[in-house]
Amino acid sequence: MAGPLTADTAAPAGPSPHGEKARRSRAPLALLAARVGLVVLKRATLLAVLLALVFVTVELLPGDAADATSERGESAADTEARRRLLGLDRPVLERFWDWMSGLPTGDLGVSARGEKVSDLLSSAFPNTLLLGGLALLLTAVISLALGCWAALRPGGRVDRAVSGTATAVLALPEFVVAVALVLLLSLWTGWLPAVTLTDADGTPADWTMLILPVLALTVPQAGWNVRIVRAALADEARAPHVETAVLDGLPPHRVLTHHVLPGALPTITAGLATSTGMLLGGAVVVETIFNHPGIGSVLASAVTDRDSPVIAGVTALSGAVITGVLLLADLVRDMTAGGRR
Amino acid sequence: MELTRRHMLWLGGAIGAGALLTACGGDGDEEPNAAAGGGSAEPVKGGTLRVGALGRAGAITRDPHGSQANESDYLILSLIYDTLTVPGTKPNTEPRLAASWKASDDLKTWRFTIAKGAKFHDGSPVTADDVVFSLKRLRATPAGASRLPGIQAKNISADGTDTVVIVSDYANAELPLLVRLTTFVVPKGTTDKNIAKAPGTGPFKLDWFRSGNARLVRNDDWYGGDVHLDAIEVKIFESPQAMASALLAGQIDLASNVGAVAARTAESRKDIKTVRRPNDMAMPIVLRTADGPFADAKVREALRLAVDRDTMVKQVLSGYGTVANDILGTGDPAYDKSIPQRTRDLAKAKQLLKEAKFDTSKTYELYTTEDIAGLAESATLFATQVREAGVKVKVVKQESATFWDKTWLKGDLYTTYWGTNDSVVFFASKTMVSDSGTNEAGWKDKEFDTAYQKAIGTADASERTALLKQLQQIEHDSSGYLLWGMADGIDLAGSKVNGLPTLPGYGRVQLERAWLAR
Repeated sequence: MAGPLTADTAAPAGPSPHGEKARRSRAPLALLAARVGLVVLKRATLLAVLLALVFVTVELLPGDAADATSERGESAADTEARRRLLGLDRPVLERFWDWMSGLPTGDLGVSARGEKVSDLLSSAFPNTLLLGGLALLLTAVISLALGCWAALRPGGRVDRAVSGTATAVLALPEFVVAVALVLLLSLWTGWLPAVTLTDADGTPADWTMLILPVLALTVPQAGWNVRIVRAALADEARAPHVETAVLDGLPPHRVLTHHVLPGALPTITAGLATSTGMLLGGAVVVETIFNHPGIGSVLASAVTDRDSPVIAGVTALSGAVITGVLLLADLVRDMTAGGRR
Repeated sequence: MELTRRHMLWLGGAIGAGALLTACGGDGDEEPNAAAGGGSAEPVKGGTLRVGALGRAGAITRDPHGSQANESDYLILSLIYDTLTVPGTKPNTEPRLAASWKASDDLKTWRFTIAKGAKFHDGSPVTADDVVFSLKRLRATPAGASRLPGIQAKNISADGTDTVVIVSDYANAELPLLVRLTTFVVPKGTTDKNIAKAPGTGPFKLDWFRSGNARLVRNDDWYGGDVHLDAIEVKIFESPQAMASALLAGQIDLASNVGAVAARTAESRKDIKTVRRPNDMAMPIVLRTADGPFADAKVREALRLAVDRDTMVKQVLSGYGTVANDILGTGDPAYDKSIPQRTRDLAKAKQLLKEAKFDTSKTYELYTTEDIAGLAESATLFATQVREAGVKVKVVKQESATFWDKTWLKGDLYTTYWGTNDSVVFFASKTMVSDSGTNEAGWKDKEFDTAYQKAIGTADASERTALLKQLQQIEHDSSGYLLWGMADGIDLAGSKVNGLPTLPGYGRVQLERAWLAR
């Protein structure tokens, strides 16, 4: 993604960082804010372009929302009237502009069936975030644990086993994992619920319903991230200061946690951050299989309905989340890297 | 009558022939205490039935007169609100909020009398004004003209507090049937904004609704008789697979309209009941009669003889269905079973094609969609089968929106599907009379039109049945439909669930008599 958030000057390589504290805390902080602002602006622009693309793409699909949501007995004149009501007779860019101008106020428009898009997403989006967030957390824990374990003895039995398994599972699509999990952990053994059912408040009725979908999302992503963690640690292990630490006779786990891991952290964070997008994408598939009430089903049905405002709403929210996570990852990278420069 | 395009209401109706019943219930796993079959055990009061129904999150509606694309929404609405009449076994129309009805001699003016003791869930009695308000509201929807065909809003009026008078533009003996599934009644003056909160009159009251899921509790004051269940929980499912998983894992008790694939999966499970509802779905092939290569009746006859119906039912419907005879409305008590079943006769088919000078060197395109399970498969198998008669057919799968926009009502050769299958007249009026709004094959037959006009204008039942037979014979001989079979509707249920309806289509939502064994 975009370049480092803090320029090299923002983290002066003074011999004693503590002595610089007073100076660093003011001007560079403002500089940092400006840079964050710039990156956010850049990405917001990118998102806007993406949203325009959504509108244009839906326009290119055969049929429109008025057709897609019409009833079999509806006359052509009635469909035409609804087309006008939905504003579909206007040029696509005009409709896009209308929709975009509501965005800053949080107005995501109205669906082809007359529902407010924000209402459609108000309980679905948090459900997807919960699913994705838990999966991301679990992915981070698993990949760090396994990656470190494998890196302790490079080339050893554990390393080969972990790396091999990781490669195998990262190639598994989410739906294969999901179907296998349902069969194994629910239908055959009866240990866990097969699907998510919701309560009156729109959230899963039981927390155990989250286990299978989270696992289905985590497994392929964990495979990917274990590889990244392992590789990042191996790279860092060749750094001179690590060699020094090893020659100093420090125990391996201390070398790992205090000397190798900090240096590898930026790469690891970036890897996890890119997984966010994959997790949200995978959630669409996984949600269908587990009937999880998230944005996946809303999105699928919106595409069927050629419902641009809904599709754009989902895109905007997901885009915002991904942007936020990437930004966070960049900050982590800069902070960890900055201290070592 | 509401017919949404791709998730159309599977308008319910009667189980037609006893023969079909036997054919479908022969494997012993049919729900024994089904509403239609009569129960052997005494119903037990109490319990919560958890029902899964299909629906898309983006298409959820709370409006009883809205565009109900979701089966889950329709299920919830039909448990809370009552329609004037409901689908039945025999006759195919039974009383509900309208306790009785009577037509004038010219079959244009119909008087519906509201059931005694009918009350809204807030305690207020149902008056004719409420019904008139609701019917007019329904008529004002975009598809209103087809939901209440031939009835103008100004011709719906109240007579006193308990009688509603509907004047049709033309004689229509089927009017009570046409008001079966969409005429939900809400209190007079309900605004669009408050429609979701409008009290109903139905067997269940709304406890809560959230994102397509709902919990309904028994209405102890229901005028329609005893309701056994304490509550019904409706769960929305985007895919039949997830719904089947939920049933197999014991998370729901009933998977409504889950389909043949799920039924096959569940076959090995002794604790799961399969409820087969015959005549649920028609998937005819439309041959354009107005012009084009199939305009010659001989060509259409040849194709009807070229199709192997048994194999179609076996392969396309996994055996969950019955063979049909090119007449639509197979579930109608007036369906004519005496017309000989058309079977495969390749020699005769080839001869007819020759007589008609049909160009067999050409390849003809058969348009289809994947709107419902089995539709595209039926097209593919049909193409394979008619090749043996020398007709080359190439299947073109179209995206749903394109199909309805470009092919439907216009194409020479395409697949269609219908969910109202308990009325011969319904199809005649909708799709076959010369000036019908959705004349899928562009069929114009004077003899048929005359037979139709006579039939719907005749009040005498036996005379009418005779006229309907005549109508069906013409349809069998020369219409633009090739109806090879009828798909069963399939529900799966846990072993404790009893009293489930076996009606086709939306007859499956009549869960007021269901009960749970202890």
